[in-house]
Amino acid sequence: MTAVASKPQDDTADRLIWTAGVAAGASLPHWPNLPIWIPALLGAAITWRLGGAMFGWRLPKTPARILLAVAALAAVLAQYHTINGLQAGTALLVVMVALKYLESRTARDQLVLIIIGYFLVFASLLADRGALMIIYLLGFVWFTTVALLQLGRRGCLRPGWDTSKRALRLLLQALPVTVILFLLFPRLPGPLWGIAGTNTSGSSGLSDTMSPGDLTELGLSDEIAFRVEFYDAPPGPNQLYWRGPVLSNFNGRTWSTDGPSMRGDMLDHLEFIGEPIDYRVMLEPHGRNWVFALDMPQRWTEDRGIRMESHFQLVRLRRSIGSRFDYELTSYPRYRAREALTDRQMEYYLRLPQNSNPRTTALGREWREQIGDPREIIRRALNIFRTETFFYTLTPPPLGANPADEFLFQTREGFCEHYSSAFTALMRAAGIPARVVTGYQGGELNAYGNHYVVYQSNAHAWTEVWLEDEGWVRVDPTAAVAPDRISSGLSRTSLAGQESRGAIRNLPWVRQAMLVWDAAQVYWSDWVLGYGPETQRDLLESLGIDRPHWAKLVTLAAAAVLLASGLLALYLSWAYRWRKPKDRASALFARFCRKLERAAVGRRAATEGPLTYGNRAAAVLPGSAGSIGTITRAYLKLRYEPGASPADIDAFARLVRGFKPASAR
Amino acid sequence: MLAAPTRTLRALPASWARRRQGTDPLSVTLEKRRIYILPSRFGVTFGLMILAMLLASLNYASSLGFALTFLLTGLGLVIMRHCHNNLRGTRIRFAGARPVFAGERAEFQFSVSNDAPSQRFEIVLSAQGLDTDARDLDAGESQRFGLKVDAERRGVKRLERFLVMTRYPGNLFRAWAWVHMDASCIVYPRPAPRGRPLPFDTGGEGSHGLEPGDTDFIGLAAATPSDPPRRIAWKAYARNDELMVKQFAAGEQQARMLSWDDLPELDTEQRLSQLARWCLDAAERDNAVGLVLPGKAMPPGHGHRHLAECLRVLAIFEQAPER
Repeated sequence: MTAVASKPQDDTADRLIWTAGVAAGASLPHWPNLPIWIPALLGAAITWRLGGAMFGWRLPKTPARILLAVAALAAVLAQYHTINGLQAGTALLVVMVALKYLESRTARDQLVLIIIGYFLVFASLLADRGALMIIYLLGFVWFTTVALLQLGRRGCLRPGWDTSKRALRLLLQALPVTVILFLLFPRLPGPLWGIAGTNTSGSSGLSDTMSPGDLTELGLSDEIAFRVEFYDAPPGPNQLYWRGPVLSNFNGRTWSTDGPSMRGDMLDHLEFIGEPIDYRVMLEPHGRNWVFALDMPQRWTEDRGIRMESHFQLVRLRRSIGSRFDYELTSYPRYRAREALTDRQMEYYLRLPQNSNPRTTALGREWREQIGDPREIIRRALNIFRTETFFYTLTPPPLGANPADEFLFQTREGFCEHYSSAFTALMRAAGIPARVVTGYQGGELNAYGNHYVVYQSNAHAWTEVWLEDEGWVRVDPTAAVAPDRISSGLSRTSLAGQESRGAIRNLPWVRQAMLVWDAAQVYWSDWVLGYGPETQRDLLESLGIDRPHWAKLVTLAAAAVLLASGLLALYLSWAYRWRKPKDRASALFARFCRKLERAAVGRRAATEGPLTYGNRAAAVLPGSAGSIGTITRAYLKLRYEPGASPADIDAFARLVRGFKPASAR
Repeated sequence: MLAAPTRTLRALPASWARRRQGTDPLSVTLEKRRIYILPSRFGVTFGLMILAMLLASLNYASSLGFALTFLLTGLGLVIMRHCHNNLRGTRIRFAGARPVFAGERAEFQFSVSNDAPSQRFEIVLSAQGLDTDARDLDAGESQRFGLKVDAERRGVKRLERFLVMTRYPGNLFRAWAWVHMDASCIVYPRPAPRGRPLPFDTGGEGSHGLEPGDTDFIGLAAATPSDPPRRIAWKAYARNDELMVKQFAAGEQQARMLSWDDLPELDTEQRLSQLARWCLDAAERDNAVGLVLPGKAMPPGHGHRHLAECLRVLAIFEQAPER
């Protein structure tokens, strides 16, 4: 007979609860993006199956389940029109979890659910990179691993906490391999196949049109547009104009780009003056192909597909920026853009739609006839902004069909878009070729990370006018009204219309905390999120491996993994090695012998038994003869008489501890 | 048609291991070099999942995707190490097997010890495709595992080979060791059906009334724990409050031998079966009997030990002592 032939108790319900935890927890981050019926289906499946296990509810038979599966698949198809891509694929996975859960019977079914669970975590990581989400997902990977250990058992489940500790230990032991592979596994620069439905449209950023008057409240997003690291001293705040899309098409209400057009090497038109500024931009994904640069870039990282298009704007060719994009640049704050305009171009930059903004047009014509000199006209226009009652506000009143007229002559409240738009229109009316340049202005220094952060709320619009002898010249009409906005570009609070939020952001410790958090995010972005082919190349170069072949990298990674795995094996064989159980009695007796040794009895000879040694000691220390005899006898009793209890050893310990040899004769 | 070659192919690694390892002593510690490990079916699925994640990470150039992919890769490797280590250093000792009758299942007992200061989990013994329960062993713990094997024919049943294996942790891998111990179990001949009376029975078949041996009562003696309850003098117990057994003189006086030659019409196996039945019948009635086989004889006796010895003689009759 087997000694313990107990049948494993029925733990079906426990197993199902673990599985339910995996199913619910893995799909939870996806719920906001899923049609409501999918989480509902999952909840119903879990309830039904658990009810079946715990209260004996009747579960659906196979035909019903097949019907349900077909219906659910059809519903997903109807919702997404595809099962390809991240969103539809995720929806399909969650539906599969629900169906699989409903029919789960065997341990194998449950293990399949664990695999889908890991996959759903993976899908969340592809879609969301928020810090809280990552913390949740890490915790959940732990949970799923605990479930893996539990459900992978043939015998009955073990206590949850004990298994959790084991799972955590396994994950920690997996970390070295994770880091090795993460750093060394060859990264490819492009996708293997087309990515369907990458959703970056939701993220805020600049757009390629601008309609002042449509927006009555500028969305002040705290989202980061990009970070900048200056290699030397940073330029002054009033030079921090980050050039973005140039809008030169005006229909009376809306400014728009004329699309990127390449016209030879634009650098030929540029003349750079003064000191260069070298820096690196870490651009957050924005779903467009614009690449921001400090006005005016002269040189940029090669091999990244960056080109300068006809408005001196940098763009990435062919591909939009869907993941973090790092590049290095050299810019000159002082430059001349002496581009000779053809007649057609001249006409293009002077174009104003007929019958729109009549008062602005009239004022411009008047100035052209009265003043003539473009410089003087510009000065006059800025003077109006400066001296008359114009207000800078982020919550301007809405404007009608002729926004420039209404803004210049009636409302006189607005933000950069209003000023640059009206100013550009006025310049065109006055016969000065002009266009709107959008981008960002300013940035916030993060002393902890030693870099500047440019937020979406730093978005700005200004004007470029073309002068016969100077070419394109930047004019920022907003600066005339709200010089703070420009000169203190480092502080965003002057911009913040939402006072309450600005106030909180202004608390010193909140600011400090946010800066530290941002610095942490930069390291996180640099070394985790942004770790790609270039970062990998840099890292390997710093390790002395220059542009390695991918096969060499794989070999290197494999060798490192083997090494890590071997170290783990060594650790495990150490942890499982046989240890001699500690014998407390002999340790105590050794301590007793040391006491005697110090008391001039001398070392116990190897051939000397405890009794002989005790007698010799008693002879040397007659004052302690009694206690020496007691201890020696107690030790022999512990050694040679069966049935010594822990209490006996404790008593022996007290004897040894209390023993003080009398002074020798 | 294909079954035979496939079976041969499947047996190849096992026979290779046998040649490599030789016959193990009756107590063996599983060393590193004799533990084999392969991914389980679920492990292969897990691997495919990692592969899919890797491709998707490459495609989306997602660093976090890579991070999770490699974390799970690392987890797989760590689990492989733990699975291997879970078995390594386990001590297996053959703890005997009770004799059984042919047609029953022999149960080989093994004591599995964990000498390590850490727990081991989900240890399973397996022979001929039949697994024991998966059991956990605490630090320093030993447990008995009973391996059940069909015993079809009388003789000495040898356990050619068995597996010690584990799928812990997570059922991703299956680590196993082949053990070839000289573990054997005596299989008695399957007893013939009841019915044929003992050859020395004068009465008709199945006479369950008073039996001759029972009549030769010679007195009472103090009972010992090994005495069968049927022989206890309950009446005397009621009187004296002292356990006594009835003593009979039957066995000693009439040498009752069960002989091979009593069954001339049967073949060897049938004869052995019938002799086994008779031995059991005689033991049931507590008759002292002996055995006479060609080239082998057992003097008359009674008691469990004698019965077991008789059945053993029948079991190994005309069998090669060692193969």
